[in-house]
Amino acid sequence: MNVELTSVSRLFGHNKAVDAVSLDAGPGVLGLLGPNGAGKTSLLRMLATVLPPSSGEIRLLERDPGRTADRRDIRRRLGYLPQSLGYYPAFTVVEFIEYFALLKEVPPARLPGAVAAAVERVDLGAKARSRLRTLSGGMLRRVGIAQAIVNDPDLLLLDEPTAGLDPEQRVGFRALLRALGETSTVIVSTHLVEDVGAACSEVALMDSGHVVFRGTPDELVARGEGHGIGDAPLERGYSAVLQATRAAARGDGVAA
Amino acid sequence: MNDESGHEVSGVDLGRVWTSVAAEVWRRHPGPVERLAARLLRSPGLARALLTTPSLLLPWLISTAVVFGVGGLVNLVGGEPAAWLLAPGLAAIGIAYAYGPGIDPAWELASSMAVSDRMVLLVRAVAVFAVNAGLGLVASGITYWATARGLQAAGGHDTAAAATAVTFAWLIPMTAVCALTLAVAVVTRSASAGALTGVLAWAGTLLASRASSGAFTAAVTDSATYLPYLAVAACATAVVVYASHVPRRMQ
Repeated sequence: MNVELTSVSRLFGHNKAVDAVSLDAGPGVLGLLGPNGAGKTSLLRMLATVLPPSSGEIRLLERDPGRTADRRDIRRRLGYLPQSLGYYPAFTVVEFIEYFALLKEVPPARLPGAVAAAVERVDLGAKARSRLRTLSGGMLRRVGIAQAIVNDPDLLLLDEPTAGLDPEQRVGFRALLRALGETSTVIVSTHLVEDVGAACSEVALMDSGHVVFRGTPDELVARGEGHGIGDAPLERGYSAVLQATRAAARGDGVAA
Repeated sequence: MNDESGHEVSGVDLGRVWTSVAAEVWRRHPGPVERLAARLLRSPGLARALLTTPSLLLPWLISTAVVFGVGGLVNLVGGEPAAWLLAPGLAAIGIAYAYGPGIDPAWELASSMAVSDRMVLLVRAVAVFAVNAGLGLVASGITYWATARGLQAAGGHDTAAAATAVTFAWLIPMTAVCALTLAVAVVTRSASAGALTGVLAWAGTLLASRASSGAFTAAVTDSATYLPYLAVAACATAVVVYASHVPRRMQ
């Protein structure tokens, strides 16, 4: 397993953003769904080794991120797209991707080829030498995706990757996700259930810091059969699981 | 976006060919300074991170040069060696704004990189010290030259001698002030809070020095103060290491 979480929690003051989550994932694309404030971003930040958990155990790529040497090795093999991509406006697309490739310790001899391949995979070849300040929001998102995949990561974490992409780009991105998921573990946090249906082999649904559903997109669809809320089958499954969970929480505990 | 690398024509993978061409066309050749830094630091990533630090770029260098220039002019007309007294506060501001959330736009991303953010912080701090030390030496040389040419006001020779001494001596208080600044910035996650604390702490030290010995320069020339400075630096460094440590409970 590339990702193993055991009873992982994260507190911000008195607010429990992630509450005793246990989760594992091997190669494939795992979609992380849930409403705002469900804990998806906090969970991804912990997986990206940016945020330590308040309690629980995390193992990534069969290593312990609490150990300095292991953490460095994990980070070499990690790709991460944060929800809010900060960037240096004066950098060109190539400079930005190359900068993070260097920080991921991609060997210098492999660097030009890796950067060019990443730029091409997100279809930004025509903008390779453009300054980041001149790009649209969708293009910046693609730059963010390119820096995340430049090291051919074994674990790829993407927080709202399709925000700002137009429909054609989203279709291309889903195909890219499927290709990456053949060899790597890809975890995608998103609000868009259609992304999950088209690209993910598995889904985890979070609510109030808990993982309340784990299964395939078809299993989530099956949960929504006969349920009235939502235009698409996946949306009906999403709503049905959330409603059942919240009803159970109001009663005698949280359903998982 | 392309999920496949390209098309094959007569056994030639055009996508791969194009990527190779693009790699050569887009290739960025590091300059001599970056190559030297990469060799010294034994890390191309660290070298690039050092040379692309927003706060070490032109505005910071210009402001440093201006402060030293003004300080040098003040020396030439007599009085306290202002440049050397300002240097620790200036370096503290440089350190506070060299790194951190809200300062580095890509901080979140940089925190997930194999090249340790603490190492990036360290080399940036060393760079700030090195630039200040270099400029301090230049200012010192100018003061000596002015003294030799008789350009300085009466009593200037003593001032020049003291200035030369403090050029080296201020590195110790500067270490303490910078470490304190960094500790406050890391703990509060605010570069401004760190910078303000560092500047106020240094101003307080100068005023105390003036009150006790009658001269601001005693804060850097009195060797009895060196040990307390080093103790403050050590404590503040320990706070920085602890506060930026990824807890073992991550295991």
